[in-house]
Amino acid sequence: MADQFELRDRSPRPTKPIDGPEDNEDSGPRRPKVDRPNTDDLLRRMRKVDPNQARRYRQRTGQ
Amino acid sequence: MANRLFGIETEYGIQVDGVCDLDVVVESMELIRCYLREDFVARWDYGLENPRKDMRGFEVDELLNDKDELDHLQRDRARKIPIKELKSDLIIANGARLYNDHTHPEYSTPECLTLRELVALDRAGELIVLHCARRRTQTRGSGTVRLYKNNTDFEGHSYGCHENYLLPREIPFQKVIHGLLPFLVTRQIFSGAGKVGVEGEGVSRVDPINYQLSQRSDFFEVIASVDTMTRRPLVNTRDEPHADSSLYRRLHIIIGDANMCEWATAVKVGSLSLVLDLLEEDALPAFELADPVGAVRSISRDYSRAWAVELADRRCTSALEIQRAHQQSAAERYAGRDDETDWVLEQWREALKALESDPERLLGRCDWITKRYLLDVFAEAEGLDWGNPEHRSWLQSQDLEYHNLDPQEGLYLMLESGGSVDRVVTDDEVDRALTEPPSGTRGYFRGRSLGKFADSVRSLNWDSIEFEANGKVRTVDLKSCVDMETAAIFNERLDRANTVEELVASFEA
Repeated sequence: MADQFELRDRSPRPTKPIDGPEDNEDSGPRRPKVDRPNTDDLLRRMRKVDPNQARRYRQRTGQ
Repeated sequence: MANRLFGIETEYGIQVDGVCDLDVVVESMELIRCYLREDFVARWDYGLENPRKDMRGFEVDELLNDKDELDHLQRDRARKIPIKELKSDLIIANGARLYNDHTHPEYSTPECLTLRELVALDRAGELIVLHCARRRTQTRGSGTVRLYKNNTDFEGHSYGCHENYLLPREIPFQKVIHGLLPFLVTRQIFSGAGKVGVEGEGVSRVDPINYQLSQRSDFFEVIASVDTMTRRPLVNTRDEPHADSSLYRRLHIIIGDANMCEWATAVKVGSLSLVLDLLEEDALPAFELADPVGAVRSISRDYSRAWAVELADRRCTSALEIQRAHQQSAAERYAGRDDETDWVLEQWREALKALESDPERLLGRCDWITKRYLLDVFAEAEGLDWGNPEHRSWLQSQDLEYHNLDPQEGLYLMLESGGSVDRVVTDDEVDRALTEPPSGTRGYFRGRSLGKFADSVRSLNWDSIEFEANGKVRTVDLKSCVDMETAAIFNERLDRANTVEELVASFEA
């Protein structure tokens, strides 16, 4: 299971703005190369989350 | 996209660890003031605001609040802090507004013309409020201040992430409402931020819905209204154009989630901007929903991705079909117009395709998919059962931490630091947006005016700035400054002025 995240296809799908020259200020949004996360680190962080964190999180209504 | 002004307002959730009986009103006020090195001076001009005015041609006596909030407000009135002090409104160097909106720190981007600027300024807002939270943690002496870019406390209290779009006044507002409903109701399939559980009146604690697409969809009760705190509408009718009211409307969209994924922010705003182009040209696909309010909830709660929607003529369609029709109409008319438009059309099309057949392709782009994936990985690793209330509560805590703005704790930010999400802008662009306003809008004039002549700015709002020059108060009216040509003239005058007197004189000449 720990390798589940790494197994996903995370290869970038280029689109027009991303293919444009790096220094072209007029081009649209682009994204950098996508790497793979380390699932062990992620689970380590998630295990540190207090199971009652959401129960303690109380807000007042906003807009 | 460069043909329409847009912006995003984000109300952040606030919590202080280890502190009971937190006064969130004061805490939020103090947090905003942590942005300042000097003492706070109230300069926001509230006289130019009227959130009770309705686009349908009337004004309500008061805006509605839910029962909880009415109780809180009763207690708030005992507080002897003037409203200007409580709100602590700031305009900051990048042209954004930073203030205490009721009980939530709020950051409103300046007006933008491109998605790239908007996303960079939105992300800069996260860093700005995080900076304030860290300073507040230091100054308050006890407890760690945490901020969350989400929209709910899982107990029925929601706070917003609103979008604003400038529209020509000539489009009748009823046409705006009915034209946009099919798109707005179904947009959540790619822009929802995901939520563990269900909220709202009449929802059973043992409701079988464990996870839904949107943080906000539980909170919409009517089709159109001027209210935003309760009985929230799918289309908000607040009539505050912050521009010439004979020419423009400001479409104030409150049905949307705060997104962590840059891609979701960009496609959420970019697609709606294109749909507004279609609305202006009377070229929207013809859909009329049988029950728009019910559809918002049923789509959000349908994890099967069928997303069936009943039309007014009793035919059935799906959220995907409605979105696809809008995307295709926009592509037919606007493909090739500019790079950002092409990017939005392509991303929107690809997203709809992925949602139909392989949603995990949207990992790192769609928040609801990214969050759910993390939750599934965690649930499997820990042997958690979504149907078990205790387990679900732990998953709800993970949901919350997805939105934590502290990079040492936040789950989304951990994914981002590992390069596991799609970025739309670079860190350098975000860093620049901390202090630099967007160059082609009146946001530049606002931000740079404060940078150049801060001591002479007596008051300001979105659409005007009062300067003190030669011992007199002079107002620069920014209502007309909503197109590129006018903004260029205003901004050039500001750049050329060496003194505030020169600036004011350039507008009086």
